[in-house]
Amino acid sequence: MISVHVASCQCYSLLVDICWYEIDGVPIRILNVVVGYHVLNPWQGNLSLVFVKNGIMTSKSEINLQNFYVYNSSFGQKEGEEEKKILFYYPPKTDFDTQMKNVGLSEAIVKFSDTFNPDQLCEALHTQKTRQLYHQAEQGFWMVMTVNIPFVIKVKDGTEYLEYQSDDVQDNVYLAVLQQSYKMFRLFKGSFTAILSSSGADVTQLKQKLDHFFSRYLLSLKLNHSDILDIFQGIQFLPLDKQTFLHVQCFVNLIEATFAQVKYTAFLYNDQLVWSGLEAEDMQVIYRYLVTSLLPAHLETELQGGSMPRHPTSPFSSSHYGRFVTGPPNLQDSSGNIGKVPKVHINNGMTPELYHLVVYRALSATVCLFIEGSLHLNIDLFKRLDIFLGPQLTSLVSEVAEQCSRQATTSCTNSVDPSPKFVYFNKLNLAQKSTVHLDNRRSGNVAVTPEVLRLLADINADKARMSTTGEIILKTMSDYWVVGKLSNLREFYVVIHQKNANLIEINDEVKRLSDSQLQSIFFHD
Amino acid sequence: MASKGLCEEHNVTETEEPYVAPDFEPGASLESMLVTTDSLEELEQEMDSSFDERQMKESTTSTISEIQEEINDTTVPDDSSSDQDNKLIENDEVEELGSQLSETSLTSNEDCNAAATPVGSLTEEEGCQNPDWKERKKHVFILSAAGKPIYSRWYGNEDKLVTIFGVMQALVSVVQTNQDTIRSIHAGNSKFVFLIKGPIILVSVSRTTESVSQLVLQLTYVYNQIVSVLTSSQLNRIYEQRRNYDLRRLLAGAERLIDHLLNFMEKEPAFLLGAVKCLPLTPSVRDSITQTIIQTCGKIKNLVFAILLANNQLITLVRMKKYFIHPVDLHLIFNLVNSSESFKAAESWTPICLPKFDSSGFLHGHVSYLSDDCEACLLLLTVDRDVFFTLSEAKQKIVEKLRHGNCLEAINESVNRAGYTASQVGVPEMRHFLYKCMSTAQFWSPALEPPYHVTEESERLLGLYQALHHRLHAASRPLKLLHQQLDKETLLGWITSGFELYVAFEPLVTKHSATNAVNKLLRWIKKEEDRLFILNAPTF
Repeated sequence: MISVHVASCQCYSLLVDICWYEIDGVPIRILNVVVGYHVLNPWQGNLSLVFVKNGIMTSKSEINLQNFYVYNSSFGQKEGEEEKKILFYYPPKTDFDTQMKNVGLSEAIVKFSDTFNPDQLCEALHTQKTRQLYHQAEQGFWMVMTVNIPFVIKVKDGTEYLEYQSDDVQDNVYLAVLQQSYKMFRLFKGSFTAILSSSGADVTQLKQKLDHFFSRYLLSLKLNHSDILDIFQGIQFLPLDKQTFLHVQCFVNLIEATFAQVKYTAFLYNDQLVWSGLEAEDMQVIYRYLVTSLLPAHLETELQGGSMPRHPTSPFSSSHYGRFVTGPPNLQDSSGNIGKVPKVHINNGMTPELYHLVVYRALSATVCLFIEGSLHLNIDLFKRLDIFLGPQLTSLVSEVAEQCSRQATTSCTNSVDPSPKFVYFNKLNLAQKSTVHLDNRRSGNVAVTPEVLRLLADINADKARMSTTGEIILKTMSDYWVVGKLSNLREFYVVIHQKNANLIEINDEVKRLSDSQLQSIFFHD
Repeated sequence: MASKGLCEEHNVTETEEPYVAPDFEPGASLESMLVTTDSLEELEQEMDSSFDERQMKESTTSTISEIQEEINDTTVPDDSSSDQDNKLIENDEVEELGSQLSETSLTSNEDCNAAATPVGSLTEEEGCQNPDWKERKKHVFILSAAGKPIYSRWYGNEDKLVTIFGVMQALVSVVQTNQDTIRSIHAGNSKFVFLIKGPIILVSVSRTTESVSQLVLQLTYVYNQIVSVLTSSQLNRIYEQRRNYDLRRLLAGAERLIDHLLNFMEKEPAFLLGAVKCLPLTPSVRDSITQTIIQTCGKIKNLVFAILLANNQLITLVRMKKYFIHPVDLHLIFNLVNSSESFKAAESWTPICLPKFDSSGFLHGHVSYLSDDCEACLLLLTVDRDVFFTLSEAKQKIVEKLRHGNCLEAINESVNRAGYTASQVGVPEMRHFLYKCMSTAQFWSPALEPPYHVTEESERLLGLYQALHHRLHAASRPLKLLHQQLDKETLLGWITSGFELYVAFEPLVTKHSATNAVNKLLRWIKKEEDRLFILNAPTF
């Protein structure tokens, strides 16, 4: 037996993996492993040895998307035309018989559940190896997503067998993922019925749009890192002092007054929202698009020396750092190329409206401009916007940055840090805050174990049985304490890793934390 | 070690009570007559693994034939006739026995049939079209793998439900074509849970707070109830021979047992906990009852278990050395006794299969109530089918001796006493609790007091315990402690290596007083343990 010191950065996630299983009291969930590893246990600060056997190192299998489809049974009612009810099917290479079989099963499941329970829609089908989520996005339009259940290989009496970890896939989390996918589609393409009515009930256009959107969107799903934040879909707000906040608001008002085309404006600093003129429900979807997709992609191209230099050498624009995230890559380009500006459908609940989404960024500040969709955008408008926004935003961002650094609280970026971690969500304004998650990228960079993270969603699922207020405190086998408090649409979750604590001490600790972090928010005791 | 969290609190409070030792386990015993593995955990493992069930079954040998062989080894040579008999039981006669059974002991009493009819007495226009039918909190359906209806909880005539049965069978088989197994469908607070057990499919449609695994456990009980009437070998053989067999013919009369079992599980926490409750008795009385049974029956060679129970509580259990009884089997026995009024009328001789003990064959049970003036029921279970008169005689002797020793009075007194209530423990904040001792698979709970004295509230309380139990025992995220402050009560669940405790407090109890209350409760149970639990495991 050889022992290997795991030290390199790349092995870190592997290392953490091993420690989690150990801490949770399940001795070795990793099988067929080659050698023994000396593993630095980040929580206890000591060395532990994981023994392993012959073979290749395979840990728990991942959660993957098996299929994803959209159907409407009313479209294929004539005999021989059943295929018409399938509007979208992923993976696209699936043979037609399998598509029909799976859609047929879903129709049967929905109908069966309806026989007993017409008031409540079918939400999930559990099988030993898969989990299937159901969402009737619009009347008659069902969206179905199937993921596999992760498994580990175990040995009993010399025979290898698979053990499926069905608790790892939580219905409330993955149902939220499915619902998000619809909202994102609707943001960019409009509702199913709106598309249908605009094309005179011809489904071809709807099919094309579904295919165009989902074939890319589904690849971006981070199914292994979906958690309680997917349920909330909250927004992180940046708290500012009155003075700075008024400056931002003034700036926004000035934009809207100067450019009549701009109907709404949103202002972000890093991943935090400072101001938005949109309805919260729309901002929720746009916020997620910005924070998880558009801005990270933009930063990446910028880091790789993107299209426009940070300090433009051009004599025309030397005074600021502003540039378009969606819009012309280069304002000096004589071709007048205005780049890609997405169109978004908002206010879908009432009367849908279409807007161009122009995103402008200077340093850490981002301004989103919603320009009437009927207008034709030209390079001239972008030039005027740049001249107006660039200098003002550059000076405003330094003011906000100064404010932030002054009030920068003890942000913990170290996963070894034993201090209590929390997640807060307010359903009224969608405000969300998490110190459990170390960034906003949904990449699994979290300060607690996956099991503990799932416990938060468990508590959230149990919330349905409480009325407006309630509290749950639990202690895991690995001595994590998890607390969930619910009060008037506010939810507060705390994770404390403290081995020798008792119920009363934990209660006091949570009280201290909510006093310091959420001073003004009232919780029932 | 596992008791940390609650008990350590004593260091910081000024309670005058002594410190509760970490390995404090009221009711614990080194010996147990019950199998103590957790049936829920067993079940989850079975459901989640791809391990083929049949592979495991093949390897297990029949416990009954093992006992019979042992007896035959020790019997004198001229006793060869019984040897032949035993072989006969194992082979062809089993089927005959099964049908005999359904004709005799299960359908013999006409009162029972009459009592069972209202369940299925909906007129034809009603049935599945009826809104009441849909609004039932829990449906249970049983069908064969081929889709033949076997049982429906809320409608006597399964033919009317033929479409629903057809759909359920289709769902099961479509998912099977993907080398997968359907487990449940979720719609709001409704759950549709499927259990496929060999040749039969069981489905539960429930609007309760129970978890999928708890509903699967219930369906497993229902399956075991069928096995208890037919044996698994007979059940499998029937379907091997005729896939389309209508099992209702063989199960006629057993619906009553299933109906009763389902109602029983909605009231009794025993099933959830996988444990048995004992009738509180002073240790000397219980000992003398046990000794009386051992002295009287010790000489009867092939007696496997002698079980005395009253009011769903165990009084004593004497077993053959080496053999234990699983709580699941004991629950089925409780259910049998409970749902069969006929046992009160006369002593009976009934074949009974205990699925966990040996699902492939029957034991033979002499079942009788001790006397007209005592509610306790005695079961003498043997592998020998020809000893009715021996056992009947033994029973008479036992009753005489018990009466002589004033034990019948003691039993009656305990049965008729309202029972301990939570308030007798002396902790006013505490309304109710369940305490399970792991090492003996026994549990204890006080009588229900207001607000839980009405059915609706007591069922709600059980629902709260079930939800608590579910989170504490979640297969991949088990917990040590769970404290829930809800609208109408505060609940505490605490699991250590030695015990499980579930407490319902007043809603506004502080964590401080809840902690003190638990410590006080544990000490009270310790003080009363020899009355509340059976701490030994007597054998013949």
